[in-house]
Parts: sequence; C-alpha cells; structure tokens
Amino acid sequence: MNNSFLRISIWVYLAIFFLYLLGPLVIMSITAFNSPSFPRMTPWECLTFQWFSELFQDQRILNGIKNSLIIGAGTVVLSVAMGLAGALMLTQIWPKLRATYYTVIIAPILIPGVVLGISTLVFWDRINRMLGLGADSFLSNGIFLTVIGQSTFIASYCMLVLVARLQRYDIALTEAALDLGASHAQAFRKILLPFMRPAIASAAVLAFLASFENYNTTTFTFGEYPTLTIELAQKVRYGITPSISALAFIIVALTVFFALLNEAKLKRQELVAAARKKATVEELAGKIKLPGFFSGNMAAVLVVVFAVATITVVGTATAYDPGQCIADVRAQKQLEAEQRIQQLRQEREERRKQREAEEAERGGTQTAPKPSNNSGFGNVFAPNTLGGDDDASGDESSDTESQPSNNSGFGGVFDPNSLQND
Amino acid sequence: MPQFLKEFFNRNGTGMGLLILGLVLFWTIGLIILPQLSMLDFSFRPNLPPPEIGGPKDVYTLENYKYLIYGPEGGSQDYNAVDLRVFFRTLLAAVCVTIFNLIICYPIAYYLGQSKGNHIRIFAIMLIIPYWINEILRAFALRIIFGETGVLNTLFMGLGIWDVPFDFIRNDIALYAGLGYAYILLMIFPMYNVIESLDGNQIEAARDLGAPWWRIHWRVVIPYAKPGISSGCTMVFMLSAGALAAPQILGGPSSLWFTQLIYQQFNDNNDWPQGAAYAIVLLVTCILFVLAVMRLFKVNMGDIGK
Amino acid sequence: MSAGVGVDLENLWIRFGDFVAVRDANVNINGGDFFSFLGPSGCGKTTILRAVSGFLDPSEGKVLIGGNDMRGIGPNKRPTALIFQNLALFPLMKVWENITFSMEIKGASAAERRKRADELLDMIALPGQGDKLPSELSGGQRQRVAIARALCAEPDVLLLDEPLSALDLKLRQHMRTELREIQQRVGITFIYITHDQGEALTMSDNIAVMRAGVIDQIADGKTIYNDPNTAFAASFVGENNVFRGKIKQVMGNEAMIATNRSGDLVARISTANQGKLKEGDDAMMFVRPEAFAIAPEGSTGNHFVTAQVKHEEFEGNVFNIFTEGDGGKEIKVSLPNLGQSFEDHTGQMITLEYETRNAVLVPAGELAAE
Repeated sequence: MNNSFLRISIWVYLAIFFLYLLGPLVIMSITAFNSPSFPRMTPWECLTFQWFSELFQDQRILNGIKNSLIIGAGTVVLSVAMGLAGALMLTQIWPKLRATYYTVIIAPILIPGVVLGISTLVFWDRINRMLGLGADSFLSNGIFLTVIGQSTFIASYCMLVLVARLQRYDIALTEAALDLGASHAQAFRKILLPFMRPAIASAAVLAFLASFENYNTTTFTFGEYPTLTIELAQKVRYGITPSISALAFIIVALTVFFALLNEAKLKRQELVAAARKKATVEELAGKIKLPGFFSGNMAAVLVVVFAVATITVVGTATAYDPGQCIADVRAQKQLEAEQRIQQLRQEREERRKQREAEEAERGGTQTAPKPSNNSGFGNVFAPNTLGGDDDASGDESSDTESQPSNNSGFGGVFDPNSLQND
Repeated sequence: MPQFLKEFFNRNGTGMGLLILGLVLFWTIGLIILPQLSMLDFSFRPNLPPPEIGGPKDVYTLENYKYLIYGPEGGSQDYNAVDLRVFFRTLLAAVCVTIFNLIICYPIAYYLGQSKGNHIRIFAIMLIIPYWINEILRAFALRIIFGETGVLNTLFMGLGIWDVPFDFIRNDIALYAGLGYAYILLMIFPMYNVIESLDGNQIEAARDLGAPWWRIHWRVVIPYAKPGISSGCTMVFMLSAGALAAPQILGGPSSLWFTQLIYQQFNDNNDWPQGAAYAIVLLVTCILFVLAVMRLFKVNMGDIGK
Repeated sequence: MSAGVGVDLENLWIRFGDFVAVRDANVNINGGDFFSFLGPSGCGKTTILRAVSGFLDPSEGKVLIGGNDMRGIGPNKRPTALIFQNLALFPLMKVWENITFSMEIKGASAAERRKRADELLDMIALPGQGDKLPSELSGGQRQRVAIARALCAEPDVLLLDEPLSALDLKLRQHMRTELREIQQRVGITFIYITHDQGEALTMSDNIAVMRAGVIDQIADGKTIYNDPNTAFAASFVGENNVFRGKIKQVMGNEAMIATNRSGDLVARISTANQGKLKEGDDAMMFVRPEAFAIAPEGSTGNHFVTAQVKHEEFEGNVFNIFTEGDGGKEIKVSLPNLGQSFEDHTGQMITLEYETRNAVLVPAGELAAE
C-alpha cells in the first residue's frame, strides 16, 4: 500500500518533471504552425507553413547559420585536439603537478562565459597591439576570436569525455605496437586513435553543440561575424515572431532524429556483438548473417517512423494552402472587432447621455471629463501596452499591415486584448 | 623535471611529444592563464583611447573598482547603490536557482541512478535533448509560455483561477524558471553518476534495519552522493551567476543581472577596463563563495568535474 | 637462424630516483637459448626485460644484442619482440590483423598479410580463426595469437613477460610444453620472465635467479636446484628445509656446522662457495624434503636429525611428514609412494637421515618469502 503510493508519486513526479523539461519545447514547436504573428499555441487559428518560408528568406539567419558552422568546425578541431592532448598529459604528468594541472584545465568550465569572452577579447587585442597589427588583422577577426574563446572551455568538456575513455586504455597496447616496429606516430594513429574514436566522436558532437549554442562568450568576440545564436538573441530581445519557433522546431526535430539514430546504431552494435558471440567459425569466415536492422530495435523503428512523418509534413506543406482558413479567421476577427467597436460606441453613448443627464441635474458644476471616463483611449498609452506587452503590439502591426480594411479609424486601439485589461 | 620531460618524450616520441606539449601549453597558458591575467591587469588601468595606451596616462589605478563601490566621482550618492544592489541580487538569485535545481533534480537523479531497465535510456535521451537545443531558444520557449497571453495565463484564466493576466516576466518568475531550466542537466548528471555507483544493497540494508525513507536518504544516499551534489551545485551556481542570455530575454525591464552590467560597460559604454573590473569582481566573488561553501560542507576541489 | 642472436648485459644498473631496480647485472645469453629470469615479484626482472626491449634506458652499463650496443635505439628499431603479461592484443583488430601488424607497418599488402597470417595460425593450431576478434577467443587461444604476432615480426630475440600467469593450472602446464616446442622449432633466443620456478625449470636452458635487483645465480635448472649459490636461490627454487648454524670444521668440499637443535651436521659446500666458507662463519644447510629418509630408531651421527612429528599428509605420489625444525620452521619430509605402508607417526619422535651429498651449505642469507 505504502509502496504503491510511493511508486505512483514517483511517476507523477517524473511526469511533472519531464513536462517542465519538454513542455516548453513542444509548445514552442507547435507555435511554429499557428498563423498568428505572435508565437502562441492558443487560440489555435490556422495551420500554416508560412513561418518556415519566412525563416528561409531571412538573410541574417542564413548568414548566422553559415558563421555558426564555420566557427563550429574550427572549435571542434581545436578543442578536440587540445582536449585529447590535455587528457594524454593528465594520464602521464608528474604526480606532484597533477592536482594543479587538473585545476587549471577544469577551471574554464566554472569560469562564467562572460568572463572568458572578455579575457579573450582583452588578451588578443593586446597581442595584436604588441605585434603592431591593425584593427582588421587576423588576430582581431571575429571568427578567430570566437573559436579561441569557445575552445578555451569546450576543450575542458572534451578533455573530460576523452579522459574517461583514456583511463581504460592499456598503455601496453602502444608499447606492443612500438615493439612490433611502429613509430610513435603510427602507434598513435593505428592503435590509440581507433580506441579513442567513440570518445572523440562524442567529444566532437559535444563541442559542436556547445559551440553552436554558445552565447555568453561569443557575444563579446563575434566582431563582424554574428553566429546564429547571436542573431537569435537580437531577434528575441527586440520582438519575437513564429519564424523563430520554426527554426526551433527544425532544431528540435534534427536533435530528436539524431538522438534516435544514435540510439538505433548503439542497439544494432549490441545485437551484432551478440550475434558474433554465437556465430561459429564457418559463419565468421564467410559473411555471417546479421540480424536485420529493425529486429529487436525499437529505436530504429522510431527513426523510420520519424523520417516518414517528416516527409509527410514536408509534402503537406508544399501542397497545403492555409489562405482560406486565414481569410476566414480574419473575417471572424474583423467581425468581432466591429462588434466590440459597436458595443463600445453604444456604451460611450450611454455614458455620455448619463453624464449629460447628471450634469444637467447638477447644473454644470463639473467641466472637465474625469480621466476614468476616457478608458477607451487611455489604455492605449498604459505602460503595459507599450512595454512588456509584445503580444498586443505584434497583433496590431500585422493586422494593420495585412488588413487595410480594418483601419476603421481606431486601428488596433480597440484590439480585444487591450480591452481586457479594462 | 628534466627527468620527467625525458620520460615523456621517450614514451610519446619526439614528434608526438612536442605536439602534445605544444597543444597543452597553448591551451593552459595561451588560452586560460594569460588571458585571465591580462584581464586582471586591464582592470587596473584607466579607459584610454587607443593612441594613449602605453602612454604617460596609462598607469595602474583602483578607479574601476572604486566605481563599483562608490559610483561616479561627484555622484549624488555615497555608494553605487544601483550596481551593488544588482551584484548582490545576482548572487542571491543564483543561490536560489541552485537550491531550487538541487531540490527538483535530486529525486530524478536518485530514480535514474538506482533503477534499471531500458526506460532509463529513454529518460536519459529525454533529459539530454533539451540541453542540445540552443540556450536562446530555450529562453524563447519559456517566454512563449510565460507571456501575457502565453499558455499559462490562458490556462489559468480559462480555469478561472485569475482573471487578469499575471505578469510572470515582471515578477522574475520567468527568469528563475528559465535559469533553472537551463542548467537542470548539469545538476542531474554529476549526481546521477555518483548515485549510480551506490550499491543498492546499502539501501536495502538500511531499509531492513527499519529506517524510514527520509532517513535512508539523509544518512546513506546523500552522504554518498556528496561529491556529485557539490559538483552539480558548483556548476549550476557558477553558470547561473554568469548567465547572460536568460536575463536578457526573460528578465523584466527593471531587474538587471550583473552580467548585463558587464555587457553594458563593454558594448554600450565602450569602457573595457571598467567591464574587466566588473568581470574580475564577479569571478573572484563566485570562486570565493564556492570555496567557502565547499569548506563548509567539507568537499574537495578534486571532486568537481567527475 | 639456428645460430641465433645472443644478448649480453654488461654492468647493467637501472635506477628510478633513489630506488635501485637492477644492480650491476652481468648476463650472457647464448643465441638460440631459452633463458629465464626467475624471481619473486618486484625483484627487477621485468625491468631488465624492458631494458632489453628498449622501453627503458639503463642508468649505467650496456645492453648488447648480437654484440651491438642498443643504447639510444628505440623499441621499434630493436630486433626483439615482447609478449606482454596481459598479452596486449589490439582489441579492435581481428586476429589476423593482430598477427600481421608488424607487416602492416612495413606496408605489406593485405593479400600477403592474409597469407602469412594463415601460415602462422596453422602453426599455433588455430586454423580459420583469423576473422574473430581477440575478445572472442579463449585465454589459451589469445596466448597463442600473441606468440604468433610476435613471431610474425621475425625477431632475433623473443621476450616473454610472465605470459602464462593469467592461465589456469592445466593450460599453463600444457603451454609450457608448447612454448618449448615453438622455441625449438623457430630456433631464436627466448628470454622468459617468471616467478614460477616450475615454468623456469621445465622450459629453460639457463636460468638467472634474481632477488631485489641482484642476480644470485645463473646456471641451468639442474645446477640451480642441486647446487644453489645462495640461501635465497636454495629457498626460492623448489621446496627446501633450512638448518642454521656456525661452521665448526671445513673438510675439503664438506663442512660440519653446529646447529642449535640437531647438533652437528655435515654437508657439502655448494660449488660457488667452496674455499670461501671458513670456520666460524654463519651458514645455512639445505636438505630437500625428498632427500630425507626415516632412519632406524636410535641412529646417531652427523647426518641424522631427530625431531617430533607434528602432522602428516598424504598427497598421492608422496607422503609428507612435518616435524618441528630449527628456528621455528617445520621440517618437511616427502616419502615417495611406492606402495609401502605408512605408519602414523604424529606426536612421536622420529630420526631422519640424509646423504651428505644431498645437503648443501651456503653462507647465511636472506630466505625467500613463503
């Protein structure tokens, strides 16, 4: 009884936890397909793919992606190389130096990214000046600085990943290779590197992702080469649109796809290893029959389902035209807005009449109208509408742009949302 | 030392040895140590236009640090109340985020570490996927949710729990949720690694001896997981104190993060030495704070990063 | 090939900081020999092997292979091949790739390598197993692959670092014969490191007994067993009973020592110590368990020992009697089982007899740990 209660509460907790973790991503992804120009899930208006096409026409985003890829590649190469060298050094450094050395190479993980960015900028700027180079030299190039700055701490991550595998490496393998006539470089390439390959692959992926998403360090070093993350931050800080959701959706989808693909590969390797264990000599000598890619491999099935779903969605997107729906919703909105306006006019008319009646009763003691009477217009200038409320202004602008017919003199002033505060 | 170097080259060969040594020296000295020292040096210098750098005016000064404490010279106030308040608020908020993360992550780490089966791998993937999504986009997702017409407001207003949209952003709830969200994985993984290696029999034994579940955790699991917990807490604290994206996107108009001040000094005021001084203050304070807390809980530096 | 390439160590010292791992070793290993370094773990025998293979530079002295000084020549340039204690098979390569790694380094084509691998696989009695991974083989099979890999490099000297220690007893005994056979077939010099005296005795042409960085004796197995130079060699190789005493009288190649318990005993002075042991020296007399016989009661003389039996055990081929001995250590007596009847002597006093030529005298010294 107690046990089952505990079990249920664990599952409830897990559910809430993963809702917190994944919910925002799901909601963000869904907003990419909704037609309002402010990313929102509710109310659902029309299924649309226009935010994707908008995304692909955004030059700054595309340029950012290009820069991110260049910087990512540079960072991967530099930080995996430094991480591997650092890990090799850690396994054979003089014992008295080890603790100090470890602290130094692990420190960049804990140093705030902002500090790393600044120190990189300051240091290389100084080097640049010492060498007497101009402001456009290689050393003050945004790509160089960003790669250097990011690698400082990404190499630490790589080092941790690599050292974990290196600790399981038997140094006798290198010695065996040397003993059999290999040079040090050959032993490294033919023995150590293949052994480290899985860890190097993980480290490279980790390095690329860390580089791709880095903001804190890059924001000080990017110079004239803004990365995708920098461009996104600019956009998000100064107004958000569903085309960002569309980008997020693509990234989420790619991530999920590759995670599943990797899982399927791992599972397959396990199955192959199991099959080899069971295989006889004859089977090994000839081509042994391996289990199919899908048998007993849930993740592989998911990968395929996922791929099919993607193709379907893209197919639908090219064929689907949400124009009718959007027009309907627009008409609906317009209708609602007009109704509200009518209603409001009536109300004001009534109030005016009432006031007139009151004034008439009191004999004109009150000349100026009270601010509270002015509610319809007053709200427009309320701090909320201008400051934090991107929603209302977003809706307004798009409505006014795309719908000149809505310009009934009041514009978005009578937008239903701003009235709700009343 | 020469003996060590000789052995090193014997073991790795001259070519490979030089390559390894070169990369390590470039990383540790060229990328880690010298830039930090350079920044430290820079923070003690006045803000000068490029031609005057190295000139007679380029002397060491405490001006940049004084500015943080006393504000601009001839300012109206005795202390730089604005910046100091931001600084302490940042530290306090980072502590809160760390504790919040510790509390929500401990059960998950414990569950993942102590149960077996295929579903654990799926959970692990589900944990990692959000971490692979851009930091900006994660903040953006939360902004959609916490916005005035976001999912939460729509939901609660639909349920009739409140009828006026609650401003999550202005109340910093969005910011804390975003910071917590951003670093969940960094809290879970170190704890998970340690708890996974805890022999389940110890827990069984404690249970056999009649210990209630909270006592099992208090006396068996938590002491064992201490290196993981401290590692996770250190990382989350340092990263949330040094966060820039989440405060920029999710922070309310009136609440600044200390990193935003640094950013402003650099990018808006173009006062690099001042920004460097602020960065040094942030770095040193965070390190001292972490070391103090680690001493308080008797944890070693070597446990971090495991 | 049959002439083989010899290995010489001249005044070899190896130090790690203040620790002396090898102290002034002088060894001549003849080409084509099966030579063993025998000693307890930590005695420096692996260090010597690493100096020969080139992973370590000697602090002083020389390593000569085929008469050439090897100083400054790396392990990959020496005509040696080493079989590691844990074999160090490359886990990610298939068996045939492992075996022909040395050819891959030299740039041989895959077809050539395949062919050579098949030949070697036939030789080590693993035909057709070339496509397996090392992890898919049994311990003994891995062992043989490691040998094939080393032989494929066509070394002049094969170095083996306790390669059998990971195998179980049966397999170990089988592999001894097999190793010896392979050595005789290929005719190259084998240098074998072991702490197992059984391995050393059965396989080697010559053995060097090592203790704490010092080589005590170099000789063939029979000599070491029957005529040890030192107390350590006597106690480490095979089982031995020790009697401590002072030399009372030297009589040519024999001497009499005065023991505490067993009175005066006569023994042969070991060859290396003849003329060196003098009257009044502390000495140790060693008598093998199988060199004792039970003497008729009441026998007295300088080759009789009387002691109380503590316990007995039947081992199959021998019957063991343990009695109180000198210096707290038990005396072990092994009587061959030839079908006679064994009485139970437990608790009784018995008299033991040995022939003088089977008792060896050496200067008192450190004994091997049990």
